[in-house]
Formats: sequence, structure tokens, C-alpha cells
Amino acid sequence: MNLGISALEYIDAIKNGDFTIEEFVSETFDRIKKVDDKLHAYLSLNEKALDQAKELDKKRKAKEKIGACMGMSVAIKDNICVKDTKTTCASKMLEKYVAPFDATVIARLRKQDTLFIGKTNLDEFAMGATTEFSAYGPSKNPWNPEYVPGGSSGGSAVAVSALESIASLGSDTGGSVRNPASFCSIVGLKPTYGLVSRYGLISYANSIEQIGPMARTVKDTAFLLNIITGIDPNDNTTVDNHGEDYLKDIDAGIDGKKIGVISEMVGKGTDKEVSSATKKALAKFEDLGAKCEEISIDMVDYSVASYYTITSTEAGSNLARYDNLRYGFDFDLEEYEFNSYISKARKNFGPEVTRRLIIGGFVPSTGHAGKYFLEALKVKSRLTKEINSAFKKVDYLVAPTVPVLPFKFGEKLDDPVAMFLIDFNTVTANLTGKPAISVPFEISNGLPIGIQIIADSMQEKSLFQAAYALESTTNLPKVPL
Amino acid sequence: MVSKEEIEHVAKLMRIELDDHAIHIDRVQKMIEYLDILDRAIKEITEPLIVNEQPLENLREDKYEPYNDKLIDKLKHYKEKFIRAPKMV
Repeated sequence: MNLGISALEYIDAIKNGDFTIEEFVSETFDRIKKVDDKLHAYLSLNEKALDQAKELDKKRKAKEKIGACMGMSVAIKDNICVKDTKTTCASKMLEKYVAPFDATVIARLRKQDTLFIGKTNLDEFAMGATTEFSAYGPSKNPWNPEYVPGGSSGGSAVAVSALESIASLGSDTGGSVRNPASFCSIVGLKPTYGLVSRYGLISYANSIEQIGPMARTVKDTAFLLNIITGIDPNDNTTVDNHGEDYLKDIDAGIDGKKIGVISEMVGKGTDKEVSSATKKALAKFEDLGAKCEEISIDMVDYSVASYYTITSTEAGSNLARYDNLRYGFDFDLEEYEFNSYISKARKNFGPEVTRRLIIGGFVPSTGHAGKYFLEALKVKSRLTKEINSAFKKVDYLVAPTVPVLPFKFGEKLDDPVAMFLIDFNTVTANLTGKPAISVPFEISNGLPIGIQIIADSMQEKSLFQAAYALESTTNLPKVPL
Repeated sequence: MVSKEEIEHVAKLMRIELDDHAIHIDRVQKMIEYLDILDRAIKEITEPLIVNEQPLENLREDKYEPYNDKLIDKLKHYKEKFIRAPKMV
């Protein structure tokens, strides 16, 4: 059985009776057993998945209708709540937390008979770009296990790339879906802010984060987005997409479209292999009938600083609830001094979360808020204005997803500013709320490079058309593992 | 330049004890220093900040929806009607 098939191929195969859901799930578990000791994509597995698969097979045999996902194996980032399943955020703080409810995205996928195969690794509370900050150890890049898989949704990307699941969900606050998608050579989408409900996603920086689908093909990504979008009374920021079908006309092409290449994102700090891949991608776009021009967006140079100021501030507030009163540990019933009780619990945060919380306390505090937080908001506002005017001139903005190639473990771990700059090309879409997708484009000396396409708000349909057109020009090797 | 004392003070306010990991302070200092580039950006921005306000009529209906009451069973020290919590002084 080929575990590397796409989601749409899987659905066809089940419909044709090529194999049963149980056979596929069982083979997937065998695969996980074989490779996950090395790759560490998963933090926990759904032990009931096989029984659930059998149940679905039984229903199909009895000619009962089952949902559109047909028991597809999907992996879920471990900061998204799946009922009665551990949801740890890769933190010791939540090591025993069992979610008592389904996130809206999970409920929607469940309704379509998706099987949640397991929960995937991430940087603790999604703060990081390599999974090195996971309290349970990093995930490894299946293209070369000595290299980072990207992050924070690293486990979700590895699971799809290493054939340990057909697709997955990640969350993207500053590139956390697109960056690992790029590093692991899969497709990852950060939807328009509000298109996908965040109810049940454990909050880190809620004003800019979104849940996003990750899959092997652009079509699979569009298929998943079709299922998870829509208004949710439990998330007031959700917007109505009027039941848009993102798969329809996905092959419409991009003839006559205008593409802006963000000059700040292809300049200094970009690896030469990444620059060369980007040039090739632009040539492909031109071959497909699009017109490319360079566009300068001044505020991009300050976007990372704005992003870290805003996200740390929101994290400081969102993570205040882990005080062992509202969330936390069941300590023994001895006597505690009030302040030390809370800080004793908060010692369970790992180093990066601790640092971000300190920054999150500092930048909006009296005497500093005017300098940092207000300035960051002004940059965000100006950046949005600049991007909006760019979209008056062009249909898409393009840049490499990550300015550098995947790197080795530990390489940037001790340099917080180098770690910041990994997000340089991705945070703009988050700060401005625009949809952005990473499409695998090249393998350079065994290391994947992804190209990022950004579209205007709610233009996912058009975004998928461009992504599909670019994907159709590539013929990438299979993952070596 | 942010002083180490300031960082320690904020950490305390965030209820984070730093006694055994002073190394954080250096890194936090570096991180905050990077954020100083915002000062440069701000020189180019003269317009006032635009904030998108959420219209109040779009809010969810203010209605009590009881949650599955079995949740309380998940507490470790729950007996009959009482939850036993550690003593605080």
C-alpha cells in the first residue's frame, strides 16, 4: 500500500474499495512505529483509531453514508483540543491536561469522519521556529534528521512529510505552519484572520494566530480548508465565507495575473540557494502567463520587531492563567505561601516561554508601553496600509517562505536574534491578516525550499489557483526515508 | 538599554522566579535590544493609530449555556459538594 498518496487519492481509493480504512490506519501505525522513534513527530497517538476505522468500514459495508473524509488519517498539533485527549502544548505545564471538548475545527473534521491519528510535537506553546523548544525533545526533519524540521508546527509537518499521516493541522502565529511546511517540503496555509475558528486552539497571541491545514498537495490543502472554515458562535472573530468551494476552478491558472516580489524579503540575509530557487519560481510564474515586478514594502524591515512585541504582550496575558489556580497542577494539599505557590507552578514553563513572558511583561509596562507596544501597533497599522496598497497594483505577493535553508540542530539556539529573523518573510501575513501559502518548490542538496504566495484578505480561492499553478511546474523527489 | 534589575523586576511581576536561571536575563536583554529598531520605524510614521473596533451588535447572545457538569468529576480533590484546595497564607 502506498502511504504517500494524497488526501483526494485516498478518498477515491476508499470509494473504489482498493483497501479498507482499517488497512490504511493499521499500515500508518506500522509506519509510525518504524520511523517515529527517530523523527518524533508525535507526542501521543490515538489508540482508538483502529477501532474507529473498523466502525467506519462496517458502516460502509452496510451501505451507510459516511463523511467526506472517509476515515482519513489526520494528525493534529498538540495545542488544538481534541476531546478526551491529552493536549500538552509540548509543555510540562499541561502534561496531564486532557481536553474536555473538541475545538471547532476538530468537530468539523469529525463530522466528516476524519480519524485523528495522534497529536503532534511543537515548540512549547508554539513559541519557536524549530521544535527545539518542545519540553519533550525536538522533531527531526525527514529529509535529513540532523536538520530542524521548522516550527512551531514541526511535528505536523514531519507527520505528513514522513508518511505518518495524510494531512495535518497546525497553527500559524508568525509562520508556524508555513515555515515547517517549507522545511519539510509539504504545502501549508495560513488562512485570512477569522476564516477559521480558533475556539479550542490554546491561545498564544490571539489577535494574529490562525489554525491552518498542512498537506502533500495544494488540492488537499484546499479540500481541508473547505471543511474547517465558517462562522463559529464560539469565536467572535470568525468571518462568513458564504460556503466558498476552494477546490472548484483550482486549475484556472494565473494567465494575465500580476505578481509583486517583495524586495525586502529577497535581499540581504537570504541564502543564495533560496535566492536562486525564488528566481526560478518567478520565471515559472512568467511562463504561466503572469507578470512579475518588484515591490518595496518599507515596514517589512520592522515587522519582526513589531511581531515579537505584540505576540509577547499577548502571551504574557494569555499565559497568566497558568497560575495553578485556574489551570495547572494538582499539588499536594499542604500549606503554601501565596506568591511562591504560583511561581512554583510557573517554573514548569520552559526557557523560551519564560523569556517571552518576561518580554511580554516588560514591553507593555508603565514607562515602556509608549516606546514598544504603541510603536509596534503603529508599525502593524502602517504595514497593513502598505500591503493593502500593494494589492491595488498586484494580485499576489511572492517571496521565499523562509530566507534560509533548513539548518542543523543547535545552530541558532543560542542566538535569539538569529532565531527571530527566521520569521522575517512570514510575519507580514500575520500582522496584516492576509492569507499566505507555502508551496514546496525545490530540493537543494537534499534540503527543501518553499515559495510563499500571499493574497489579499479572503482571496484564498485565487491564492490556491496560483499555488496550484506553481505546484504543477514542479517534479520533486520523494522523501528519502 | 534595559537594565538587568528592570528585567528581574518584571519577571517578579509576571510571577516568574529567576534565581536559578540568570542566563535568561542576558538573552531577554538581547531580545529587547532588537526591538529598539521600532524607534527607527516610528520616525517615518506620522499618522495616528487606526484601531479596528468590533461593533457591539456582532457579539454572541448573552445567554447562559450550561456546560456538561461531569467536568467537575475530573478534579482530584472533589468530594460531594466541596473542592478541597491547598491552604494559602
